Amino acid sequence: MKRRFVRAVLAAAATAALLSATRGARAQEIQLTGPLKGAPAVRHLRLYRGGRFEIAPTVSFTLLDEYRRTILTGARLEYNLTDWIALGIWGAYGAVSITTDLTDRIDAVAPRDSLTASNVNHTGSMVGALGRASFADQTAKIQYVAAPQATFTPFRGKLAIFNKIFVDADFYLSLGAGFVGLQERQFCGDTTKGQLPCSDPKTFQLSTQNKVAPTFGVGFTFYPAGFWSLGVEYRALPFAWNRAGFDTRGTGPNGNFPDGKIDSNDETFAFNQMITVSLGFYIPAKPQLSE
Amino acid sequence: MKQARRGLLLAAALVLLPQAAHAQKKKPSKGGDTAAAPVDMDADQQANPPASPSTPPAGGETTTPSPEGLGTPPATGGVDICQITPDADVCKAQKEINLAQEAKKTIRAEVYAVQQQYVIKAQRFEIMPYFEFTLNDQFVSHDAPGLALNYYITQVLAVGVNANWYDGLNADSDFNFQNRRAARIAVPLNDYQLSADLNFTYVPMYGKFAGFGDFIFHYDVYVDGGVGLIRTKPIPIIDPDNRSFPDWNNLVNFDVGIGFRIFFNRWLSAVLEVRDLIYSEKIESLTINAADPTNKAFWYDNGTHITNDVQMQVGLSFLLPTSFEYRLPK
Repeated sequence: MKRRFVRAVLAAAATAALLSATRGARAQEIQLTGPLKGAPAVRHLRLYRGGRFEIAPTVSFTLLDEYRRTILTGARLEYNLTDWIALGIWGAYGAVSITTDLTDRIDAVAPRDSLTASNVNHTGSMVGALGRASFADQTAKIQYVAAPQATFTPFRGKLAIFNKIFVDADFYLSLGAGFVGLQERQFCGDTTKGQLPCSDPKTFQLSTQNKVAPTFGVGFTFYPAGFWSLGVEYRALPFAWNRAGFDTRGTGPNGNFPDGKIDSNDETFAFNQMITVSLGFYIPAKPQLSE
Repeated sequence: MKQARRGLLLAAALVLLPQAAHAQKKKPSKGGDTAAAPVDMDADQQANPPASPSTPPAGGETTTPSPEGLGTPPATGGVDICQITPDADVCKAQKEINLAQEAKKTIRAEVYAVQQQYVIKAQRFEIMPYFEFTLNDQFVSHDAPGLALNYYITQVLAVGVNANWYDGLNADSDFNFQNRRAARIAVPLNDYQLSADLNFTYVPMYGKFAGFGDFIFHYDVYVDGGVGLIRTKPIPIIDPDNRSFPDWNNLVNFDVGIGFRIFFNRWLSAVLEVRDLIYSEKIESLTINAADPTNKAFWYDNGTHITNDVQMQVGLSFLLPTSFEYRLPK
């Protein structure tokens, strides 16, 4: 019995010794020798962002639009607190608004009669059938966007093109709040609020609406030189709006049927995506170098 | 008694000696702590190796390897190895090479920004399963699983095939219904069954990124294009009471795409690609033959309808064989 106990204690001690020895090996520090001992992996890294202001004129093109495409011109102003975080604002104005094929087709083909009187623009002046008016005039437009944002730049690297052109690049993520100005078909049909019936041609006019939405963007910045850069960015501004000016929801099961009113129930959610290209300039013009 | 004192002093000295070693200060390093240096993100490696000069640094940096380590004895301190072993290869080379003459020679060394690309693709097969999502069709989405097989003839050029299977995943959207109800206007819609293309892939861009200053990953950007077949058929929208389209139409399509590939190791990568399938669609006729609506000759529109199906593909790429050897050393 005593001998077995001694064996058990010895086995436990040996196991403990083995485990402690293993722990010691895990904690062992990797000792570099030779010319790289103590050397940083990246020397003289150009810090394109850290401590610099960026002024970047931008042009944005909306994507996957159902009724209207918008081209926004604007600028991004940012101060880079470090090489990986910046605070700033992006603002843009809807300079160009183009109708889609669907809008043109509805404009040309959609009947103007009592069935579509609340949904498709008309003059209301003809007897029997309603006179045609531009459907494009009732579709919503983005007027402006202002987005205070924080930008994180986790990835920094370089790019070889055709093995001849080499350019430094980084990848960033922007998060912020978007304040969006819209031109949307005005609310109508709620007579208790003194609104006109939606079949009235006057209700197809647009009114100004403001939306607040989260916004995020991801993009690449390319640095052909120290004081300027080229950027490509994907951005989304998810919010709900009534892009066609249709009465589509408000009553029936799950509110999925038209209720004769144009109101917030008729707004449908959209991701509101866009591609932005930018040309950035930096102050001070010369980037710092890491050690 | 004296022997006992000597013995005690000796024992005390022996006990203190290792403590002195433990307390020894580390020699200050010139460039900082190597433990903080970025390392390549490489799942092939069993453990994180120390950073080496062979890893080109990310972004506009310059690396200046010291002449030390090339066989030159240390200038100060240490022991000159050539004094101990004059027959060593390093010492022989020093005697045989006239450094002054060598220094005068014109060097035409071609230095690449990224020496030894991380992944050699030449003469390797690529198997790429992916899933694609429709980007540009608000009416019907054509999502599909797909598979691409490519063979890299050179490091930058590949030939291959890919195929998508859409049948069962075509989805008519609410937007389509609401638009139809509000404006009394029908838009012809089509379902897809499959598409298959023969493609050429060109890889004009590659590079690497340092992530959070902690790890490095490699990527490349490719463009591809090709020709193939897509099978579609109309969804009866205009006159569903009389029309049905049970048979798939075989249509020729052309495709162009641009993709981005991030390497996890030397044989596995994640792929993100945007591809446009361009073809002439056969759509349902918007007009109904009042005399005989069941006459199939009037069911299709006779016009040409060039269609762009823009897809985003997300997938994994496996390169085979999984290993390779570089032709030249770094």
